[in-house]
Amino acid sequence: MSSSPPPSSAAASPSCPKKMIALRSSDGETFEIEEAAALQSKTLENMIDEDCAGTPIPLPNVTGKILAKVVEFCSKHAEPGVDDESLRAWDAEFVNVEQATVFDYILAANFLEIPTLLNLTCNVVADMIRGKTPDEIRKFFNIKSIFSPEEEEEVRRENHWAFE
Amino acid sequence: MAFPELSEDEIAQIISLTTPQDACNMSAVSRHFKSIADSDSVWTKFLPSDCENLIPHISPKKSLYRHLCDHPVPINGRNVSLSLDKKSGQKCFTLGARDLTIAWGDNQNYWEWIATPESRFNEVAQLRSVWWFHIIGRIETSMLSSGTNYAAYLVYRFNGHRQGFDRPVKSHVCIGSEELDEGRSVTLDPREGEPRAVRERAHGWMEIEMGEFYNENGDDGTLVCSLREVVEYKRGLVVEGIELRPMY
Repeated sequence: MSSSPPPSSAAASPSCPKKMIALRSSDGETFEIEEAAALQSKTLENMIDEDCAGTPIPLPNVTGKILAKVVEFCSKHAEPGVDDESLRAWDAEFVNVEQATVFDYILAANFLEIPTLLNLTCNVVADMIRGKTPDEIRKFFNIKSIFSPEEEEEVRRENHWAFE
Repeated sequence: MAFPELSEDEIAQIISLTTPQDACNMSAVSRHFKSIADSDSVWTKFLPSDCENLIPHISPKKSLYRHLCDHPVPINGRNVSLSLDKKSGQKCFTLGARDLTIAWGDNQNYWEWIATPESRFNEVAQLRSVWWFHIIGRIETSMLSSGTNYAAYLVYRFNGHRQGFDRPVKSHVCIGSEELDEGRSVTLDPREGEPRAVRERAHGWMEIEMGEFYNENGDDGTLVCSLREVVEYKRGLVVEGIELRPMY
C-alpha cells in the first residue's frame, strides 16, 4: 500500500506567508490579524492599502477587550471551509453576551465598517425589542423616559391604528 | 454602552429590523426614541420598495404606510387595487371584476356590468344566468411581496335570484395551467346545516378562500386563480373581484 502525504489544505503555501496586520486598541493593547480577516472591515481595507509598513494601525474608538473579540469574529468569518450552519451557530454563541457588550460590538462594527458583524448585532437587539410593550422595553434596556403620563398616553393613542 | 447612546442611524437600523408595531411601541418609550422610531429612515424600510412613489404627496413615510393600510389605491387603470397588510407591510391586491377573465362576460344575456356604491371599483359583474361558469384572475408573482404566504379570496354576494351555488365549485390557485393543479372544492352558498367557509366582509360583501400560494422570490411567472363549474344552472351571483393577501 503506497503512502502519499495528504494534500495540503493550508490556504497559503510556504513561499507566500500569510500577511499579518497589527492593530492597536484605544488602551494601548496590540493585536495581530491575518490580512484576509482584516479585509472584512472596509475601514481596515482602506488603511492597509495606504501602506502602513508594519506599524500597528491605531483604533482610538475600540478598547482592547472589544478589539480582541472583533479580531476573533473576522478571523472566523475569513476561515475557509466553514459551512453555513456551523457559522450561524458560532455567531449565535458569539453574541450570547451581556447587553452592554452587544452595543459595544455595534459601535465597533460601525466604526470598522464590518457589515456581517453589524447585521448580526443589530438583529440581536431587534430580537430583544420584538413583541415587547413600551414599559417592557424601558425595563429591559434600563431607559428612563422623560414622557409625562399624558404625553405617553397621547403617543399610544396616535399609534393605536397599528394594533387594530 | 447603553442603547440610547448609540447613534441615531444605528438605532434606526435596529428598529427597521423589527415590525411596524414594534416601531410604534418604541415610539412610546421616550422622546429620544420617538423621533427615531417615527422617522422616514425606519418607515421607508417597512414600505415595499415599489410603493414609495404611489402617493408622493403623503408625508412622512409613517403616514403613507398607515394610509396604504386603510385606503386601497387603484392601479392598472383602476381595475386593480393595492393596499398593505398592517402587521407586515406586505402587499395586498384586489383584482376587480373588470380585470378578471369571465367566460361569457361580454354577453349581456349572461352577465351584466353594474355600478354600485358599495364597491371600490367602477363596475362589478352580475350574473343573470349561465351554465358555463368560469372566472380567472391572473397576477404576476413579481408584483407580490416575496417570502410571503398568500391566500386568494373570491369577493362576492348574491342578489335576489340566486341559484346553483349551493353545489361545489372547483377552485385553483396555481402557477400556469389549472389543468395541472389538483385544486379544491368550495361552496359559495352552502345550505343550512352544511359547513360554511364563507366570511362576511364590509359593505355587504362576502369572501371565500380559493387557495394558497407561497411567493418566494416573485420569479415564478403568472399566478392563476380560477373558479369553474360548468354543469349546474346558476344565477344571481355578483362578483366584486379576487383578493390576494398574506396569511399567517
